[in-house]
Amino acid sequence: MNAPFFKFGLFGDDVSLVVAFVIGIGFGFFLERAGFGSARKLAAQFYLGDLTVFKVMFTAIITAMIGLYYLSVIGLVDLSLVYISPTYIIPQTIGGLILGLGFVIGGYCPGTSCVAAATGRTDGIVFLLGVVAGIFVFGESFNLIKEFYSSSDLGQLTFPQLLGLPYGLLVFAVVLMALGGFAGAHWLEKKFGPKGIWSNS
Amino acid sequence: MEQLMKFSISNWSANQKLAAIVGILGFFALFAGDPYQGSTATIDTRELGVLVQKEVDHVSPVELAEWIIQGRSDFRLLDLRASEEYAAYHIPTAENVSLAGLSEYPVERNEKIILYSDGGIHSAQAWFFLKAEKYPGVYILSGGLEEWKDAVLFPSLAENAGPAERAAFEKMNEVSKFFGGTAQTGSSQEKISPQVAMPKLDMPSTTAAPGMAKKKKKEGC
Repeated sequence: MNAPFFKFGLFGDDVSLVVAFVIGIGFGFFLERAGFGSARKLAAQFYLGDLTVFKVMFTAIITAMIGLYYLSVIGLVDLSLVYISPTYIIPQTIGGLILGLGFVIGGYCPGTSCVAAATGRTDGIVFLLGVVAGIFVFGESFNLIKEFYSSSDLGQLTFPQLLGLPYGLLVFAVVLMALGGFAGAHWLEKKFGPKGIWSNS
Repeated sequence: MEQLMKFSISNWSANQKLAAIVGILGFFALFAGDPYQGSTATIDTRELGVLVQKEVDHVSPVELAEWIIQGRSDFRLLDLRASEEYAAYHIPTAENVSLAGLSEYPVERNEKIILYSDGGIHSAQAWFFLKAEKYPGVYILSGGLEEWKDAVLFPSLAENAGPAERAAFEKMNEVSKFFGGTAQTGSSQEKISPQVAMPKLDMPSTTAAPGMAKKKKKEGC
């Protein structure tokens, strides 16, 4: 059986919800196990003392990238059927900055705030209420920003297309970036490391 | 020399081993080629035959009408008729594409595509083209626009209809009104000439320019 399973009709809309639920629970579980239910742990990243977030996320990225790449090279996944979010460069840059600000100020990103709330942390619950309020305001004011929201549409871009480079070369380059990043993170953690308030324990 | 002896894989930490594996896989990616499968059309005639026989590739006009009323945005509706016919009337949300222009038309492989023409021939041919190019989610509006008129715009009720049929007809009456049509009852029913009676396009049509029709999907961390 080839993937993506939903697109090839292995299961329908209803089962896809169950699958989404199971994957969501798994995602939350591993976020929690990585320690991402704690705003201290997450915020420590911005003080360069604990770069677990960076390492976990980058590990996830290269694992998924290498997995998808090799599975599609041997023909088990049809990459042309995998959804790629379209690029709206200006609104997405601004949205990213807003999300980053929220992350620095609140100590969570949306996913980890759910994890924190689920484990009963008050700050996580308050953050999640803020997320809901933000979604409400965004939805109600959508007509005002609709034009901006879908401006600078670049379509479904990938780096190999954008740079005109072979796909495999990009894979290798991202792997090198990741390995360099991990080494750099290791060095930073030693330098700004966990002696003091940003302790790992 | 002793330094070199110590540099054996068994002394590596788990992280270093994982990093080495990733490094090796990344290196081989340089030579493993492009993961996107080419666009050469190959056809598994038996697979297509089974699909056709099971009629899993059909969407009925009533189903489609419900989806449009619900405002579902997870499909693209393509009208394969001439542009004048399209301008005169088309199903709300439909985009006009000619058969010849289909291969260049911006629809993605990961979209659900519903095709219709006057009857069923052009849409069946377009279905075959798209299937050959490995578009998995291609459907035909069964009976085409003719069936759309009979079942959705101008549904009719036979005189000797039972209560269940009457109830279903009442429901279709509402659907028909939504699309600007009129239900036909009793013996007075006659085939309405479409040229005269086709509803105007000021109904809840949300027709967008082809480029605008791309739906944004929300995803996040």
